[in-house]
Amino acid sequence: MTARISSAVLQGVIGQAVSVEVHSSKGLPAFAIVGLPDASCRESRDRVRAAVLSSGFKWPDGRVTVNLAPGGLRKEGAGLDLAIAVAVLVAEEVLTKAQTDGFAFVAELGLDGSLRRVPGTLSLVEAVQVPRVVVAEDAYAEATLGGDLEVQWAPNLAELVRCLKGEADFGLPPTAPPAADADVAEDLRDVRGQPFGRRALEIAAAGGHHLLMVGPPGAGKTMLARRLPGLLPPLDTEAARVVTRIYSAGDFGVPTSALITRPPFRAPHHSATMVALVGGGSRTLRPGEISAAHGGVLFLDELGEFSPVVLDALRQPLEEGVIRVSRAAGSISFPAEFVLVGSMNPCPCGNAGGPGHCRCSDAARVRYARRLSGPLLDRFDMRLFVQRPSADELFRGAPGESSAAVRKRVLAARRRAARRGVRYNSMLGSRALEREAPLSLEAAALAERAVASGELSARGLQRIRCVGLTIADLGGRRPPLRGADVALALQLRNNPVPLDRSYAGSHVA
Amino acid sequence: MSPEPLSPPGAAAAVPERPASESASAAAADAGGEVAYLAALSSLAGMGPARLERLLARWAPKEAWRALASGRLAEAAAAARVGEKVARRWISDAARADPAEIYLRHTRAGVTLRRRGTAAYPERLIGDPEPPAVLFSQGPVELLERPTVTIVGTRRCTRYGADVAFDLGKAAAANGVTVISGLAIGIDAAAHAGALAADGAPPVGVVGSGLDRIYPRENAVLWKIVAQRGLLLAEAPLGAPPERWRFPARNRIMAALSDACVVVESHEDGGAIGTATEAAQRDRTVAAVPGPIRSPASAGSNRLIAEGAGVLCDVEDLLVLLDISRTKLPSPTAAAEADGDAPVDDAPVDDAPVDDATVDDATARAILGAFDWMPATMEMLAARTGLELGELAWHLEGLSASGHLARRGLWYERRGGATAPTGSRG
Repeated sequence: MTARISSAVLQGVIGQAVSVEVHSSKGLPAFAIVGLPDASCRESRDRVRAAVLSSGFKWPDGRVTVNLAPGGLRKEGAGLDLAIAVAVLVAEEVLTKAQTDGFAFVAELGLDGSLRRVPGTLSLVEAVQVPRVVVAEDAYAEATLGGDLEVQWAPNLAELVRCLKGEADFGLPPTAPPAADADVAEDLRDVRGQPFGRRALEIAAAGGHHLLMVGPPGAGKTMLARRLPGLLPPLDTEAARVVTRIYSAGDFGVPTSALITRPPFRAPHHSATMVALVGGGSRTLRPGEISAAHGGVLFLDELGEFSPVVLDALRQPLEEGVIRVSRAAGSISFPAEFVLVGSMNPCPCGNAGGPGHCRCSDAARVRYARRLSGPLLDRFDMRLFVQRPSADELFRGAPGESSAAVRKRVLAARRRAARRGVRYNSMLGSRALEREAPLSLEAAALAERAVASGELSARGLQRIRCVGLTIADLGGRRPPLRGADVALALQLRNNPVPLDRSYAGSHVA
Repeated sequence: MSPEPLSPPGAAAAVPERPASESASAAAADAGGEVAYLAALSSLAGMGPARLERLLARWAPKEAWRALASGRLAEAAAAARVGEKVARRWISDAARADPAEIYLRHTRAGVTLRRRGTAAYPERLIGDPEPPAVLFSQGPVELLERPTVTIVGTRRCTRYGADVAFDLGKAAAANGVTVISGLAIGIDAAAHAGALAADGAPPVGVVGSGLDRIYPRENAVLWKIVAQRGLLLAEAPLGAPPERWRFPARNRIMAALSDACVVVESHEDGGAIGTATEAAQRDRTVAAVPGPIRSPASAGSNRLIAEGAGVLCDVEDLLVLLDISRTKLPSPTAAAEADGDAPVDDAPVDDAPVDDATVDDATARAILGAFDWMPATMEMLAARTGLELGELAWHLEGLSASGHLARRGLWYERRGGATAPTGSRG
């Protein structure tokens, strides 16, 4: 007897429809899976057989062949377990073809026959080409995001068979536990002082400009960076689905409420490998941290400690918003559009440029500075020297503006950007910038002076315009850009960080 | 340039380029005279002035070299009071090196060797408590016959310090005073640059490494200009690396060559304090430029003032100081170059400092007032003035362009006259 059941497998973060065909015939008992299954997929054999037996069904006496079509597509993961089991039961005539028609099955099986959630459920559910899908209970909420499908769940294989036969009803939608606090725990209100840092965060949030923070330990670089996601507007539905897909497929943790609506914040440690950061892997092509930061913030603390090779891999995604991972097995694109926030110390001892005395030799400082390649440094539209707040600011400073207030301005600025046809200003090309961000006379004079003095390159000038436009947007002003907008953009870009030798020991408190 | 007093002068040129045999090489070294052996001795690894002096107390240069070349380990170690390891290294190096070759390398590079006790030795070093046994020079040593001032300071200087050093160097050179400094980055470089800008007396650079080992690299251009137009001096032979211990030794030479020693900015335990101490021990006039008491870059120089050093409140004070300690009159050409008796106090860049009375924007004046004549970052100014960052940035750019402010790294400083800011005028 033969049977055919619908399911899907993951290719990166995208689902691919797969049909599971089972043929059972007389012959020596055997169980083979063909159709390019990888190791995790081949292990299905033992799980499926155990699950079928422990659910009280008979395992076919003869020869069972499972084919995963299309045959040319590499299949990985345990998500086909349930589909294989159901196909075997149809081939054994426990179920009829009519009873399983229009159903797809996406779940892993336990040895006792219980159904389990598989990573990438959302992408898989989106890929199946039938109107109804069965998943595990804890994948139910996520599966319902998949569109117009009818989603059902069952606790285990035996119960599922009863439901399919019509002897029982599918489980009611599980009541999702209350959504985790969507509010931002880390508010900008808690930051004392740091007028420059606050401003830079606001501009980064509104314009999607990458930000580099340099400063001594304890100056508040991490504290500032953690508050950036709170300034970003919530993800729109489409972006939320993309982020949820990535989180589910990459197993970065999907909340019980399923849809991820807050922009993510990822802070990989500096020991992260290339694969962990940009994605890939030898067999399974998984999204990396930069894709997990899609739509949100990628925070690289101690930028100087990351391997230079890893950092240079960031250049393509920073430019194009996607990362293409190519392996012998094939090439996959992962979305990776994020605001990059980097932080580092100004020198190995961390005290250069601040009130403490720097103990590093000039050579050590230069070596430290060289860890950041020029092209990468150039991607940072804003470079900020973060200084330790003074005692006065710490103890007597008034609490600053709250994240919610800043977010309002950010939202307004994003709406202006949307009218220009982009999500935020840093996506504007140079021609669009010429059109959208004309300079006033005074601003043009200032820019000309900066270019003439060699302070600013042609590319730098474009970025200044772009940041200047965001500053104007945040101030609710229409272009042309004022002198002050360009002056601030220039300050933010040309801050002599990292590792300026000047004033190393001459701080005046 | 005075010729190296070797006898006979033609002998060195007659030496074959590559001595074929041991005897030929020995003859060449003899022809080069004792100075070749001195050069060879000082090119040994770790051979500082103190060790060299101890060797020379026991042996004449030639004998000292022979003692090493023939492997008299215990004797040499005892004479120089060094460990066996150092002496062993000397002996193995000496066995391979050839004094004649070393000597020729210097003359070919245009470096003159000046041995203590010969006529070529700078007069100012005669009678010094620790005179170098040999000096390597490049350029007219006559520059040291003029009045001299040694201007030193920290490498990690402020814009203020660099400006003052530049002004002092320029004023001194314009008045025919030879400016001596160490060609380090920071104050040293600024003093040299000022002296070169004056188009008066060319400066003298006393360096710690060999004359072919340009250090620090950042000053390569300045180094070459000083070599072309002025005088370079070193106690170390060609090829000597810029090792740490060479610099304090170098400082004593700068002190010994000077009529007066000026410290512009120095950290609490900076090398410039060492130079000032050496100068004081040699009865040279020591003066310092006062700085803000909260600036670490001025901590050492202010301490010198507290301990009794002269105070330079003005560029003119330097000339007064030199008048007092001057041993010779400046040459008439230098006096003519000095353009009458007007002190030169131009700013180092072409835009002249402007008084803030000329600033007619009230906000800009308020920003200038917020400086209190101290360096400040944009963040500090934002806190003091309460201005919106964009507006503040705009004014800072304008004030920098008009020459009221100078930027160094993150820091802005006021430039210009000493009148107190009035804030916004009523």
